[in-house]
Amino acid sequence: MSGQALVSASAAVATEAPPARPAPPGIDIVFTVNGKRVEATLDPRATLLDTLRETLDLTGTKKGCDHGQCGACTVHVNGRRVNACLSFAVMHDGDTITTIEGLGTPEHLHPMQAAFVAQDGYQCGYCTPGQIMSAAALLSEPCGPANADVAELMSGNICRCGAYQNIVAAVQSVRQRG
Amino acid sequence: MLGQALPRIDGPYKVSGAAKYTSDRRVENMAYAVAVGSTVAAGRIARLDVSKALEVAGVIEVFGRGNIGKLYKPSPEAGMFDEARPPFADDAIRYYGQYVALVVAETFEAATAAAGLVEVSYREAEPNVALDLAPDDEPNEVSQRGDPAAAFDAAPVKIDQNYVTPAETHNPIELHATVAIYDGERFTIYETTQAVTNTRNVLSEILGVPREKVRIIMKFLGSGFGGKLWPWTHGTLAAAAARSLGRPVKLVVTRKQMFEAVGHRARTQQRVRMSAERDGTLTSLQHDAVNAAGMLDEYDENCGEATPYFYGTDNLRVTAAQTRRNIGSPTAMRGPGAVPGLFATESAYDELALALGMDPVALRLHNEPAQDQDLAIPFSSRHYTECLTLGAERFGWSQRTPEVGSMRRDGTILGWGMAGCSWIAARFGAEARVELHADGSARVLTGTQDIGTGTYTILAQYVADATGIPVERVVVEIGDTDLPPGPISGGSMVTASMVPAVLEAVRKAMKSAVGLAAKGDAAPFKGVPADQLVFADGRIGRKDSTAGAVPFADILQAASVAFVSGSGKAEGSFGQEHPKYSLHSYGAQFIEVGWQPEIARLRVHRIVTVVDAGRIINPRMARNQIEGALVMGVGMALFEEAHYDPRSGAPINSNLADYVMATHADAPHMDVTFLDYPDTKLNELGVRGVGEIGLAGVAPAITAAVYHATGARVRVLPVTIEKLLLGP
Repeated sequence: MSGQALVSASAAVATEAPPARPAPPGIDIVFTVNGKRVEATLDPRATLLDTLRETLDLTGTKKGCDHGQCGACTVHVNGRRVNACLSFAVMHDGDTITTIEGLGTPEHLHPMQAAFVAQDGYQCGYCTPGQIMSAAALLSEPCGPANADVAELMSGNICRCGAYQNIVAAVQSVRQRG
Repeated sequence: MLGQALPRIDGPYKVSGAAKYTSDRRVENMAYAVAVGSTVAAGRIARLDVSKALEVAGVIEVFGRGNIGKLYKPSPEAGMFDEARPPFADDAIRYYGQYVALVVAETFEAATAAAGLVEVSYREAEPNVALDLAPDDEPNEVSQRGDPAAAFDAAPVKIDQNYVTPAETHNPIELHATVAIYDGERFTIYETTQAVTNTRNVLSEILGVPREKVRIIMKFLGSGFGGKLWPWTHGTLAAAAARSLGRPVKLVVTRKQMFEAVGHRARTQQRVRMSAERDGTLTSLQHDAVNAAGMLDEYDENCGEATPYFYGTDNLRVTAAQTRRNIGSPTAMRGPGAVPGLFATESAYDELALALGMDPVALRLHNEPAQDQDLAIPFSSRHYTECLTLGAERFGWSQRTPEVGSMRRDGTILGWGMAGCSWIAARFGAEARVELHADGSARVLTGTQDIGTGTYTILAQYVADATGIPVERVVVEIGDTDLPPGPISGGSMVTASMVPAVLEAVRKAMKSAVGLAAKGDAAPFKGVPADQLVFADGRIGRKDSTAGAVPFADILQAASVAFVSGSGKAEGSFGQEHPKYSLHSYGAQFIEVGWQPEIARLRVHRIVTVVDAGRIINPRMARNQIEGALVMGVGMALFEEAHYDPRSGAPINSNLADYVMATHADAPHMDVTFLDYPDTKLNELGVRGVGEIGLAGVAPAITAAVYHATGARVRVLPVTIEKLLLGP
């Protein structure tokens, strides 16, 4: 059955043929993702987030809002943290991207990942990759020593489970180790 | 092992992106679905034009009522669901965002583009999203004793106030999602659910196939807070599309749709009448609640859940009523009933204490009941007064001066407030299997879920404790309807529910291993009666001597057995008709706010919480649960409200910038103490649960603190700044 048959007793369906809407031509880009050179032909409508997840199978980066409001999709672009949902992938030609998978693996955790485990800096774990990517970038940003300073700089990453006290403890434990 | 603050066993997967959540599933030949929601809240579809959408390159199909395929209504016995009407069942629109079409395409980008080209016109009706709630029907009497009206009239001190809690959205950061696979006979569905078994049972009836033809898998949930307990229409649509197309379909709900079609905490309006003698003795309590419901719903928020038993009074009446609105179905949200209910009743206690000139802690201590007066049965294990006194001590409550605005620090006005809280304790029915393997490992299998609460780790702790097998050698298999059926992850009940089933299963498996130790030519204890042998610390040996005990793995290897196993099953206690004991958790919340009227700035500084939730199996995870609930309570008190546009009926702040939830910077300092008294009336380990109790009582403690700081009594949540600027 086809969608053209969407006629109900009360609802009529238009029949005039609209102009065809071709797919936008793919755009070739080359970028570095987690240390590997990636060549891809991408839909110009695809965000960096959807490209990582659906094309490159790097599903550790999460979609929470698609509007840059929750921080779950935080990745590093050329060493700085960005919301991957807020840019198109084709804008990253030549860029170096690091995702949570590039930070460490379950067997070889990055110190920030290990600190989140040690401090229980999560509950459900869904916002966690974004929290950790933010926290890892924060290590090289100007940030005061207090817990409140860390909380302020982490406030772009929402944790609905509310594990904030433990997340700040995890970040501080890594910072204090230097 | 039990009571140890172990790190989560699934932690390394969560911190490295290796944990697979529902929308992380990618299967061969998968298509992407995007749902189109109604842009009116009431009326009928007049015309649905999908022609432009179908022309988009990459679009495979656009589904509507005419071509989605047969979908049935689930029978009442199917299980739990809030929205009984199958999607696309008719042309009537009853809420904004109700799905009217589903676009399926080769890519998410094509599906999204095409969804924007589906043209729908409506015969629009006036939507009813009115905020003032009056019962549609005669209220239902929930509890009644004595003559509360007469006692109220005769009392020297009384309170009669209305309290309102707004529609709140769960907003787990994980979007609801479905990946549905249909092989021509059987559905395999990855779903964001807190209850795989219930989802299987309900969905099988909607799809019209036997239960055994539907498998639901959920290995990691990006939290749910109740919003993912019962199945929603997107899951049905994804399954129906997969059935129609013969291709796997992935559907991820958008954040905007999370405000429309996957439930919310119902708006409530509650009248509380309370009276007392001058010494504080509570002489009557009347609690009448109304909640908003969807047009086709029976949803009862059950605000009076904790009212009948929490404090002693001889005269009491609790009623519940609903009123229908053009809104998506409400559903349970963390601490349903009790959390909004306790906002009303605990606020009223604070107002009663003021009217009496009594300390609010003293008033509560004065009205501690000797037993559950509602059911006339004893409490199983109630330590509420210790929560109050220990909380007061840890907070420094004795330093409080009760006059409004009388406390200051560094130029900021301080407000100190407190409230009590309670939450039901019960067990759901559960089954489990435990295997002990010849390589020295164990597996525990049950169809429950870990929704961020720590169930993976708790189950490993149970098995490790019983067997002596190291916790890192225990494999936990959950979140799949192919496993023995386990409880829903709701009601703070999984940790308690799993105790009898897992202990029975592991003991049977251990007994089986002991049997092998005494039988067969290669058995190390050949000829020793099995009842003289004991399984302890991962070894099997003689009861009377620890010397010569043999690792259980060696015994299995000697017997050439790959693994031994045992099954356990326990009936639930939830909804029991004639309980012998009144089982609940208790707590007390003490909160400091800071108020700077010069810049209209209100902050929650610190919270001291004492919780009586039975024995704590993993204090690290339990503390995290409570702290997270406190943070959610800050949001409930100060920020959260879904606003429905009275003209369109649309939830208009349907994004995470306009629907404000507490962030890192909003989180107060939190001090959590567990009393850790085992409640062995519930299970042999004395475990209750900690998922919801931490949210109860936070909002009324904050509004009490806000009153203390500002003189403004906020009875309509949330405490927005303009409510404070108006003054007392």
